[in-house]
Amino acid sequence: MTEHRTASRDEWLAARRELLDAEKEHMRRGDELARRRQELPWVPIEKEYVFETDEGETTLTELFDGRSQLLVYHFMFGFGYRVDEENPGCTGCSFVADHFDAVLPHLNGHHVTLVAESIAPLQELSRYKDRMGWRFPWVSSLGSDFKYDFGAAFTEEQQRSGAEYNFRHVDQPPPQREGMSAFAIEDGVVHHTYSTYDRGVEQLMGTYSYLDVAPLGRNEEAPADWWRRHDEYDAREEDAE
Amino acid sequence: MTEHRIATRREWQSERDALLAEEKEHTRRSDELAQKRRELPWVRVEKEYRFDADNGTRTLAELFDGRSQLLIYHFMFGPGYEAGCPTCSSMVDGIDGLLPHLHARDLTALLVSRAPLEKLQAYKRRMGWSIPWVSSANSDFNFDFGASFDVEQMRKQMPPEDQLPPIASHNAKATGTGLAEYISEMFGASVFTLQDGSVYQTYATTGRGVEFLMGYYPILDRMPKGRDEGEAFQTWIRRHDEYA
Repeated sequence: MTEHRTASRDEWLAARRELLDAEKEHMRRGDELARRRQELPWVPIEKEYVFETDEGETTLTELFDGRSQLLVYHFMFGFGYRVDEENPGCTGCSFVADHFDAVLPHLNGHHVTLVAESIAPLQELSRYKDRMGWRFPWVSSLGSDFKYDFGAAFTEEQQRSGAEYNFRHVDQPPPQREGMSAFAIEDGVVHHTYSTYDRGVEQLMGTYSYLDVAPLGRNEEAPADWWRRHDEYDAREEDAE
Repeated sequence: MTEHRIATRREWQSERDALLAEEKEHTRRSDELAQKRRELPWVRVEKEYRFDADNGTRTLAELFDGRSQLLIYHFMFGPGYEAGCPTCSSMVDGIDGLLPHLHARDLTALLVSRAPLEKLQAYKRRMGWSIPWVSSANSDFNFDFGASFDVEQMRKQMPPEDQLPPIASHNAKATGTGLAEYISEMFGASVFTLQDGSVYQTYATTGRGVEFLMGYYPILDRMPKGRDEGEAFQTWIRRHDEYA
């Protein structure tokens, strides 16, 4: 017998309908926030950023790949959660990136280009990408100010004396944090339209929205305690034995 | 020159800060709603359902595959369809790659449709998915959980085509079936838990409630053009092998 409260179908339906009203209100509020994001002003990008890609050196403009909107995921590499020499990609960012390939054709078909960037040699990114079996474009911003300028990496000086992360001052930020930035291109000019960090990145993580409808929920003692790279879960079960 | 409002970094920053506060509130409200879902009572499923699966006939309890939670997506693929619904397909693209993470949280995810198993298997091969997909062709399951309706009844009761959203006739055509046949199947998610051998239903959702399975929407909601679809919502969605 379960210890959870059980009910007749009619009782459940009444409770479910009440919750549905709250869910609908929340969804409409989400629509409103999306409209508000679209109303944010755009900031023209004056600086020239160059990335190393599979096709050679590429500017930020070229990253749009012919589409009008660009989403860049700031992927932590060589630093992050459960990172070592053999596993250089952050476990959390790898979890996020597991969501990309599925949405890629749909986003590309709807005028959005999605790429990830990291401050590491392209060769290392490609090697890790092969292991993970990913197809989304992943570019190297090594040697560029890009990740620093968009608030997802911090210089040694900033790590000592403080910087902004997620639009708040942080006394001693780590070398890198997760985030994503959106851009629009019009008449050849690139504009920064939006950035989000920290739990804002959960919007890329469908897994959490699935768990949020499940009876056990996210079921985590500390956020991230259960995250593994998708090829590491079996190893974890063996560890536990 | 763009006609969109342009600002300095500082001006943008102050508007972004204000929006961030509201976004945080929205995230916390999401957490609260997830908590409320977990507090819903559970309804014991008394009826025996049998599904046609790759490895033979399976009961609802067997579909849990050793885990305690089961998320079923009612995929619109009726007996008269020639191919699966494109919008449902776009959702399954998302679920398929996440199975290792969901399994690690004690959650089995699978698809149920009313078309015969062979049709589902052929379409799954075309889409390159690995997620389990079972047929309820010989079961009341989809009818009992509000995901299938009698076609003749639907034909009598359905509103005229021009009162349905454009996506209905768009997807009827894409699945090679008539409008009544198409909308006699319904998309939705049903969630169950298995406790001491008994199955309980914990949650169900349909309509916009399935947007949690549409990973491209929260991304588009953060892009400069937003969802950019208006009344003709979802008609831009193609099967992943059909985009030009």
